[in-house]
Amino acid sequence: MAGEGIIVDNVSRIFGGLRAVDGASLKLARGETVAIVGPNGAGKSTLVQLISGVDKADSGTIHVDGVRTDRLPPDRIARLGVGRSFQTSRVFPALSVWDSVLVGVQPRLIATASGRLLDPVTESLGALLGLPFWRRRVAAQEAAAETALKLFGDRLWPRRDQPALGLSYANRRRLEIARLLAAEPRYLLLDEPSAGMNPTETEELTQLILDLRRSHPHMGILVIEHKLSLVRRIADRVVVLNQGKVLIEDTPDHALDHPEVVEAYLGRPRAGSNFQDAHHG
Amino acid sequence: MELFLSQILNGLAIGQVYALIALGFSLVFGVANIINFAQGALFMLGAFIAYSAIAWFGLPLIPAAIVSVVIVAILGLLLERIALRPLMGAPYIAPFLSTLAISTIIDQSAEIIWSPESQPFPASISSTTFFIGNAYITVTDLVIFGFGAAATIALTLFVSYTWTGRALRATAQDPAAAAQLGIRTDVMRQIAFGLAGALGALSGILVALYFQSVFPQMGIPFGLKGFAAALLGGLARIPGAVVGGLLLGIGETLASAYVGDSYRDAIAFSLLLLMLLVRPNGLLGGGKLNALGGSGAAAGAMPTTSLLASASSQLSATRAYYLPAWGFLVVGAAFALVPLLVSSTYVLQALIYGFIFALLAVSVSLVSGAAGILSIGHAAFFGVGAYAVAVLARPYGLSADVTLLAAVVLTALVALIAAIPLLKLSGHTAALGTLAIGQIGFLVFLNWVSVTRGPMGILNIPHPVLEVLGGLRFATTGQKYWLVLGLVVIAVVIAERYVSSPIGRTWRAIREDRLAAQASGLPVRRYILLAFAISGALAGLAGGLFAYVQQVVSPESFTVETSILILTMAVLGGLGNLSGAVLTGFALAILPEFLRGFEEWRMIIYGLLLLVALRVRPQGLLGAR
Ligand SMILES: Nc1ncnc2c1ncn2[C@@H]1O[C@H](COP(=O)(O)OP(=O)(O)O)[C@@H](O)[C@H]1O
Ligand SMILES: [Mg+2]
Repeated sequence: MAGEGIIVDNVSRIFGGLRAVDGASLKLARGETVAIVGPNGAGKSTLVQLISGVDKADSGTIHVDGVRTDRLPPDRIARLGVGRSFQTSRVFPALSVWDSVLVGVQPRLIATASGRLLDPVTESLGALLGLPFWRRRVAAQEAAAETALKLFGDRLWPRRDQPALGLSYANRRRLEIARLLAAEPRYLLLDEPSAGMNPTETEELTQLILDLRRSHPHMGILVIEHKLSLVRRIADRVVVLNQGKVLIEDTPDHALDHPEVVEAYLGRPRAGSNFQDAHHG
Repeated sequence: MELFLSQILNGLAIGQVYALIALGFSLVFGVANIINFAQGALFMLGAFIAYSAIAWFGLPLIPAAIVSVVIVAILGLLLERIALRPLMGAPYIAPFLSTLAISTIIDQSAEIIWSPESQPFPASISSTTFFIGNAYITVTDLVIFGFGAAATIALTLFVSYTWTGRALRATAQDPAAAAQLGIRTDVMRQIAFGLAGALGALSGILVALYFQSVFPQMGIPFGLKGFAAALLGGLARIPGAVVGGLLLGIGETLASAYVGDSYRDAIAFSLLLLMLLVRPNGLLGGGKLNALGGSGAAAGAMPTTSLLASASSQLSATRAYYLPAWGFLVVGAAFALVPLLVSSTYVLQALIYGFIFALLAVSVSLVSGAAGILSIGHAAFFGVGAYAVAVLARPYGLSADVTLLAAVVLTALVALIAAIPLLKLSGHTAALGTLAIGQIGFLVFLNWVSVTRGPMGILNIPHPVLEVLGGLRFATTGQKYWLVLGLVVIAVVIAERYVSSPIGRTWRAIREDRLAAQASGLPVRRYILLAFAISGALAGLAGGLFAYVQQVVSPESFTVETSILILTMAVLGGLGNLSGAVLTGFALAILPEFLRGFEEWRMIIYGLLLLVALRVRPQGLLGAR
């Protein structure tokens, strides 16, 4: 299966007897933003685990830009240009904000032109002796890290020397996203990026994603999101997942107002369109 | 065939004992989520208290055994109370190190009380032999197997049918939920430790009966085997521990019958490493040992694999003080003046050992602090370096440039290979893996007589000659002082450059959250292997210099005590902080010079220092990085 984009084909993941993801298929093209919605336990996070290689599918295939990835380790998939955040955001607690973002660019620091990695000896010599080729690379990656941090205005940049563990919940999420963006991914997978954020912070995040769409017109964005108002504003397409299966895949307005979705998502039928956000626990 | 069957029966008996030790680990791990390093020490105490009750107080075997089991059970309770409870909320590494310190203190005290020598156990069971078909089995084996099995069944019944037992299981499954049901989880922790003590004592007595001897150093190898058995069985389950123990017992007995008895333990520990390599979650599964630290996330804590973080995630924010790489050059230059001012070979000799241990502490700090894999096996790497120099310099008469380079390269390679089984592990499990590596190293030094000359060691290592410096010979202590100082400073500068480079940052990221690091595109294994190779190179250089300074290399320099000592130095300095490691490595190595006449108290003092430091300054003297 050649071609650009992330292509998930008929993928299943079974935990014990539970079919967390059950024959799901979906496609994320470069330049588009897709939202995955669905009730808790629908298998949304598991799907991201499978795409990013953190967990392995029991059946089905996943391709990233024509490369089959469902058997690859997570670091290889990340180096293909897939950046993902975690539902419980994972920062490096003892590392400073600045160091954390630099960790995100480390794979590019040691990448060669052919897409492979520098051998450890060259890497060691570069780092120990501060060779010119190495210094040029470091400068380029530090610039990328700085740009990524400054995307968040004065939320992160002034705190760049603080350890990540001292950050607020929302800032940890921002830091995680900054780390991903610093690596300039082709695809960005965000697992509930607005969870735990207040309305102002959610609005900031929405703006950030809209800005990203403009500034990175070739990046594909996949967002798992419960806040439907956010979904309506950012997504080109919505994939509704329920009990591990893709229920509907359509434009936001069609998908979110579909009676079956309203019922599956809210647990009861609702008259009229709903602009309200779903609750989640 | 008869031999084979007899060996299997024999293996079942000792395997049942391993199962009992394993159950001690499993209980504590299940209830308190801690790997109790002191389980081996409790085991050893059980054997010795029974020994004393019989030999000193003339008790018969059974009452002696009961006294011993009761006393050690109480000690188990105390262990929880003194060494672990105060560390609630401390970094994840603290409880493990605390049990390590206690274990060191107990082992060394036992050497003082009962002498370090092996003693015959003053009671035995009939040595009558039975035949089952063509295979034979002794009554001792039968009794041991019977007792072990009975204890296992009693324990199973206890946790299945009594209220306390069910409360234990509930606490193991979900402490928060258990607490809500009104179960006092702190009491459950104590009970688990008490039971672990009782099981340890019982197994110690059975082993004493099996081998007919007791010795203070028996705790660590048997503790490690018990841990291997527990791990084989999935770590947190009773049936798993039993199956693991029996398999280990049979495997080891067969191996010692067909390969040679001196390799018995080496084979057991190799099995453990193989196991860690292929099935880190045990033969029977059990998902608790996730190297990726995923389980913390469910509890709402910040996900991390860091040994330095704590459940409350507050501690690692403390400040670290460290020298830049060039700072070590300045310090080194200052020390270079010492031989001009001091002519005492005694003082210079002490300082030389200080430098060598500073380098060793740096080596451990790099792999344990920066990359996050606690090493209790570095004495093996130290030894590989020392033997490399000894063998190449003595029989082959090569110059020091060649021998030291060979020591560095060979040890880096050995460390790299040794790290492979550890790649899937983190935290306490990885630490026990390194312990197994250390034990294997020691056993190889001891038993590979054709190369290492066994317990005698290699004597009369010539003075180092550096061909690159025009055949410069370092014959006097003052000259060796400069050689050691110079090479140690260069090595530490390189290590510091690594730690403060992007590579060091990557190591720390891997330490902090291995999963996030890998999902960020970092080749995690490669970086861990690199950390081990560099750490190994540093330890190898330390070993090589040690060989030239001592002029004698023998296995006793590379015991687990040495490993624990180096780790203690690294922890006290602040893990990952090389300046701290240099400081404490140097200071603790020259400390014994002030303790003349109290040598046997040395390890006890180190143990106490570690214990106190974990309470008052777990981040180390200069702060972990
Ligand atoms: N590692 C795991 N082991 C067992 N069950 C899991 C695991 N991960 C997820 N599940 C289960 O799979 C289902 C889907 O989970 P998840 O993908 O997290 O849902 P969502 O993100 O849509 O809320 C849930 O029932 C969850 O309990
Ligand atoms: Mg989810």
